Amino acid sequence: MVPQPLVTGVSPKEGPPGTRITIRGENLGRDLKDLIGLKICGVDCLLSAEWKSSSKIIARTGSGKGKGDIIVSTKSGGTGSCTVGFRGFFVQIGPLQESAVWIDETQTVLNQLGRRGNTSPLAAKDDDDPLGISDEGNKQKSEEEMLELFPECSGNMSLENFSPAWYLLENHQTASFDDLKHGLTNMRRSARTRSEGPIAFVKTNIGAILDCLDSLDTMYEKFSEDDIQRECISSYAVSLMQAKSCADGLFQDVLGRKDKADATRNALNVLQRFKFLFYLPLNIERNIQKGDYNLVINDYVRARSLFADTQVKVFQKVYKEVESRVHAFREMLHDKLMKLPNTLEDQKKLIKYLNHLECKGDPAWECIQNQQQWLYSLLTECKTHHINEPDEPVINQRNSINGAQIHYTRGSRTSGYFGEAGWKFRTPQKVLFVEELTEIMTNNFPDFWKLGHAYMSGNLTMKEEGKNVKSDQTNIFKQMVSSTIKYFSNIVRAAFLPKSLENLAEDKLKELGIWPDSQQEISGAWLPHCVRYVRSCASSLCGLDLPSDSQELIHELAFDMRTNCMFTMLKQAINDVRSLHTKETWVVELDDEFGGTTQLPALFENIVNEAIQHLHEVVVQNRTGEREIFGHRTVQKEATSLCTKLLEAFAPCLEQLAFSKTEQVATSPVQLRYSQDKNTNRDQEDLIPTKDKKLIIMLSNCNHTKQHIIPRLVENLNKYGYVETNKVMQASQDTYNKLDEKLFEAYIEEKSDPIVGTMEPNMYRGHFDWRHCRQPNDVRNYLKEVIMAMIEVHAEVHSISPAFICRVMVKIVDAVVEELSRLIQCVPEFGTNGILQARLEILCLQHTIEIYKSENTITSFKEALEHLPDAAQSDKRKMEELMNKFRTQMKFQLMCFTSDTSTA
Amino acid sequence: MSKAKAQQPAVIHKVIMVGSGGVGKSALTLQFMYDEFVEDYEPTKADSYRKKVVLDGEEVQIDILDTAGQEDYAAIRDNYFRSGEGFLCVFSITEQESFQATAEFREQILRVKNDDNIPFLLVGNKADLEDKRQVTQDEAHQRALSWNVAYVETSAKTRANVDKVFYDLMREIRSRKMRASQQNNGQKKKKKTNKRKCVIL
Repeated sequence: MVPQPLVTGVSPKEGPPGTRITIRGENLGRDLKDLIGLKICGVDCLLSAEWKSSSKIIARTGSGKGKGDIIVSTKSGGTGSCTVGFRGFFVQIGPLQESAVWIDETQTVLNQLGRRGNTSPLAAKDDDDPLGISDEGNKQKSEEEMLELFPECSGNMSLENFSPAWYLLENHQTASFDDLKHGLTNMRRSARTRSEGPIAFVKTNIGAILDCLDSLDTMYEKFSEDDIQRECISSYAVSLMQAKSCADGLFQDVLGRKDKADATRNALNVLQRFKFLFYLPLNIERNIQKGDYNLVINDYVRARSLFADTQVKVFQKVYKEVESRVHAFREMLHDKLMKLPNTLEDQKKLIKYLNHLECKGDPAWECIQNQQQWLYSLLTECKTHHINEPDEPVINQRNSINGAQIHYTRGSRTSGYFGEAGWKFRTPQKVLFVEELTEIMTNNFPDFWKLGHAYMSGNLTMKEEGKNVKSDQTNIFKQMVSSTIKYFSNIVRAAFLPKSLENLAEDKLKELGIWPDSQQEISGAWLPHCVRYVRSCASSLCGLDLPSDSQELIHELAFDMRTNCMFTMLKQAINDVRSLHTKETWVVELDDEFGGTTQLPALFENIVNEAIQHLHEVVVQNRTGEREIFGHRTVQKEATSLCTKLLEAFAPCLEQLAFSKTEQVATSPVQLRYSQDKNTNRDQEDLIPTKDKKLIIMLSNCNHTKQHIIPRLVENLNKYGYVETNKVMQASQDTYNKLDEKLFEAYIEEKSDPIVGTMEPNMYRGHFDWRHCRQPNDVRNYLKEVIMAMIEVHAEVHSISPAFICRVMVKIVDAVVEELSRLIQCVPEFGTNGILQARLEILCLQHTIEIYKSENTITSFKEALEHLPDAAQSDKRKMEELMNKFRTQMKFQLMCFTSDTSTA
Repeated sequence: MSKAKAQQPAVIHKVIMVGSGGVGKSALTLQFMYDEFVEDYEPTKADSYRKKVVLDGEEVQIDILDTAGQEDYAAIRDNYFRSGEGFLCVFSITEQESFQATAEFREQILRVKNDDNIPFLLVGNKADLEDKRQVTQDEAHQRALSWNVAYVETSAKTRANVDKVFYDLMREIRSRKMRASQQNNGQKKKKKTNKRKCVIL
């Protein structure tokens, strides 16, 4: 077991409550926790105990009074003992004395002031024993005795009539001379200390002294009030004044320093307390650089709420600085807001910031205006740029354009361009223009609109201003929107539909841009491209829920573009069709069903189909929200007439080919020379057919077109929503019928003329005379030649188009029979043999063309036969013979005619 | 507690440390009491220490009153001095003023105790700081001689002569006490005898 704690030392050994004492000893605990009790003068002081080591504890004494033990208790050693003790005492602390503990002064000080206010504290303190020799137990003389000894004197040191002898007798009657001598030195020493004392004393008791001075002042005032003569206090006054000035002088420095220190401390406090404000300018700057605008605004709002109305100079100054920073910040934000392009979110954010900063004016509105202007300028810039650009942009130049305008193309276009650069080498400027323009619109306009919308709905303004924005600015904004749209649509129109702007003033037109003539027309192939851009732009803009008038404008533009495109394309197709004749190769492809045709009708069909298809995809097909293209009456009419034209356009082409003569022949050798192919050389020669062949080919083409292609095309048109296709059908059918007729007639003429023309000379060849001819023994050669010629025609037609055979042969036969009939009727007189001959020939012919007979031929034959006198019965037999002979002789020739019937 | 107290030796020698401020009174005391050397200086007011020691085979208690050297407390010294049985008058050999002040202390002690042969030791502390010495051994010895006391040089830091000064002083106190008791006894005896004599007479 560890020995008990033993306290052997205490420092100091006495003191008032709260004295900090060092306790030393043995076994005062092994560690902090081992120490479990400390009693000083019976008062528990464990709370204040600081365990330093097993031989040292520091503690504060409690309120124990008188001499007492210091008992330390430890867990390990139990309750200990002590060899030394502590003496606690209460000191009556005067108002001018230092104390380590808080003292309730209401009692002591007031009492002292009240009761002994006039005693000098100094005197009171030293009253007891100025000599420092403590002689106890001396017999005192009574005051009466003393008064007798020293009349008019006093033993009180504070009085003027103080008598030292009295004092000595009173207090140190029994002291030895040596003692008194010691007392003297002692007194001298204390006097010396006292002479130095006052300053230290006053320093420590400045407050009380100032109070004294104050009370002296009031005293002085009281005195001067009470004393009318003023004389009796003048001496007091003077000395008081002197004392005061002396005191003032003494403490001038100290006070000054104190004031300074106080001021500095105050300033520091203020700096500390309002650190926020003082650092604010710097913080604002820093946060702006960091882009932490929210923080800046929050700080600023806080600062404003705290310091805006401050009266303090320093704050005003700093706040001014803050204001200027914020002003610059505002400007910066404003500039940023005005700088375009910018995303909608950024703009909204910036506007919100500016609103929070209570920017002058209406940033959102300014932003809207600015953006509108910017949009305007973008459009204009785009327009002028493209107008001024030559129509043959070199790739390099394109690069530079893209470089310059990349900011609103967002890069997507660039790649597209370079990829397509090969075949888009000569992309018309207008196309580029419309691409870029629509891109500008689709990219930037929605933001503008949304911004405006947000503004109108009050999202971008401070709450209290939200209301009065409405009516006025809504209208202006609507105007802005519609004017922007209008401008957009007008410059597009100026480029593509200048005619639609005709009713505008000259200068306005100039403003919208006048495209040079070289660029006036762009090929139909590009138009759908443009239309696609405009339409997609329109649909994206219309998706924004724009006001109806703007939407109307956009729709109109798109619609006009579409119709324009459609018309242009149709016209283009017509032109293409018209120039088809140059493509004729004269290669006839036989088809059992349709007869022989060249590739031309197919080409025609292709062109038309392609055009329709293309138009359908780009133009006709409706998107949601777009107007039906055929809903418009004039458009409908125009479209119908164009379609008709388109379908009819093939006819002149065919006609031209059919009747072309020399030029074709002339051009083809030229072409031949160019194409040095050995094979084609010969083929080409064969390919240019004779006129009659051309006719029949074209006839066949025409027929084919009329019968198959036109219905198909019309059906197609119908399918794609074109209206009044019946009319188109009707008109085109008419045209082709006419052409057909014309061609047919021409062909028949072409064919029958030589046959018919040669009949008469051939009939009378060899001075044939109907009267004196010999008895016929055969059908004459002319008829055979005619038949041969007819066979030839038949063959030709058959080779092209068997369907025509009947039609052609009937006509030809008709002509031949008519001629024969005419010739017979023209014969004035027949011999018997002549009659026989004629009859034989008529009958043979009749027999031959049996299947091709028509009303005409029948009457012609009838007339011819009626003209002939009747033949004798014997002749009839003879004629039978001859007929049979003809049949057998001409068997193969006749088969041409009969075989037709089997095939037909 | 009473038990512990009961065990304490009855004989107590009361030693008082005097000397100017900062000469090392407390340092000497603490070195003697607890074998520790305190470096930092903290002016003492009045500290009290008491412990058991074995003096020449006899268990006694030494009670040390460590007083304030500063002039501020000069007034209360008288009261302390009255209770003292022996004095260690300490000065610092590195400070001439402290040596001079010893005369005043001696004077005051003698005045209060009213006894020229009071047990008293002149102690020159800080002997380890030989290079800063301002008070020669000679003048110290001369003064001690003139006072008819011993002079010892100590070092609280190195503990040189620390025990010696306390034990020497205790021996003086003891011998003086013994003399006094003999005197008392003698007086008593005398009185007694006188009385007896008187009675007898």
